[in-house]
Amino acid sequence: MDLTRRDFGKVVIASVSELALLQSTRDAWGQPHPGQNRSLINGVQFGLQPFCYHDLAMTRENRGELIRRLVRNGMGMVELHATWVEPRFNDPGVSAAAARDKMRAWRLSPPAGYYRGIRKELDDAGVAVFTYYVNFDDSYTDAEIDATFEGAKILGARGCVGSFGLAVSRRLVPFPGRHGMFVGLHNHDNLSDPDAYASEASMVTGLSLSPDFKMMLDTRHFTAADGDCVGFLERHHDRMAGMHVGDRRKHNGRSAPFGEGDAPIIELLRTVRDNRWPIVALLEFEHGTLRPEIEEVDLMFDYCKRAVA
Amino acid sequence: MTRILTGICVLAFAASIAAQSTPVHRSYDTEFLGPPLADPVLQHAKETFVLFGCAYCHGLNLVSRGEATDLMHSALVGRDENGSRIGPLLRAGIPQTAKLSPMPQFSDLSDQQIAALVTWIHYARQQGRYQELTAAPVRTGDATAGKAYFERTCSMCHAVDRDLAGIGRKHDAPALRAAILEPKGLKSERSFTSARLNDTKLGPAQQRHHALLENYSAEEVANVVAYLASVR
Repeated sequence: MDLTRRDFGKVVIASVSELALLQSTRDAWGQPHPGQNRSLINGVQFGLQPFCYHDLAMTRENRGELIRRLVRNGMGMVELHATWVEPRFNDPGVSAAAARDKMRAWRLSPPAGYYRGIRKELDDAGVAVFTYYVNFDDSYTDAEIDATFEGAKILGARGCVGSFGLAVSRRLVPFPGRHGMFVGLHNHDNLSDPDAYASEASMVTGLSLSPDFKMMLDTRHFTAADGDCVGFLERHHDRMAGMHVGDRRKHNGRSAPFGEGDAPIIELLRTVRDNRWPIVALLEFEHGTLRPEIEEVDLMFDYCKRAVA
Repeated sequence: MTRILTGICVLAFAASIAAQSTPVHRSYDTEFLGPPLADPVLQHAKETFVLFGCAYCHGLNLVSRGEATDLMHSALVGRDENGSRIGPLLRAGIPQTAKLSPMPQFSDLSDQQIAALVTWIHYARQQGRYQELTAAPVRTGDATAGKAYFERTCSMCHAVDRDLAGIGRKHDAPALRAAILEPKGLKSERSFTSARLNDTKLGPAQQRHHALLENYSAEEVANVVAYLASVR
């Protein structure tokens, strides 16, 4: 290939820029996992919330298929829901209370090397766990919360994220610091629930509870709740760990393929790229498709890649 | 000229062979959607249900996931007639709710799209309820309660001294139960044309039976069977 001096200059500038962006990611989150570069596009770290694979039940039995799909979709980073990791105890004939007790006992003393084994599966495939999704609630004991953070840390997660509100968040304040991790606040769009993260004000209140709390802004839900996604990013980027990137229509509207709803996906991604903010973009969508989900992820990821190209 | 024609024929034949041997790439998620249904009206309704994301929360066959409403057993769906209740709810959504994520509004959908969603919800509910009722253990019914149910619900079309005269002599209890749960036409396939005609000509009786199927309890079925078996 013949390179002109101008071409060479462009390549050098691009490489320096990429290195600088990698450095900013490294500074924010520690040593990056080598596999995550697979979905590092022009300085924006992408990953997937695998809820997108609607045809794949989120069970630990399906984890192998999940990892295969992530690699096939070019994803080097994932938000791993605990159900991909933990066993289930709600067998027929087992009461909900008994199943919950068994789950707690398992979390407090998982089989030796259990989380390390899963970490190896992910490492071997070159997939980094950015966050571990756990729906903490009142049924969790303190010891169980600590054990969950510990397991998540072994998996490589930088934080635990979940669909909980202000009350549970208050209880979680002492935990992430003990493990050198963060708690990711994930907003939904229920504006009628005073405990829910849905409005910007509710999220600011949540973030004020602890410096270890970071926002995992869900662009679909925030758009449906008539929130200003770009404004939120500009105002609170230093408290954001990531975004769940997806599209919906305003006014409690329906989910839509990327670009067909009201979520400003392109503006958000370019703002992250241009400012070199270490904010991870996790694709997550809920719109319907007749295509296999793996193809749909490809299409949505292509949309995002073009946005930051 | 003959050579040219022969050449064209050979090329056409080769092209047809190539077309047959080239695997057709179909971007259709049969794993999630199942094989296409023979009934095009239902297939279209099913695809619409998936395309607007309903299936991901309520389940393709109405086995709901997470906190979504159980459409298989929802009283509102049971009372719906051709979208009379489901349609307005879809257009407005349910913004005020105790749930984590409110039901979205689908105000931008066309009447046809709403109708397709309603068609699938009722069809899937009928299939699901049929499976539930046939899987339930057969119980002994109360003929008196069955008579009351019959007079309240069935007597506008049927009478035990007319079309159902001596029905208990002609059929045993399992046959009566089967006829109640799977009335004629439940599994008939339609075309878009026949579906349109059904609306005005053949529809009401069939629709009435389908609506009943969506709302029967196992106890009601047992009671009506006991009553009809007693009609000698």
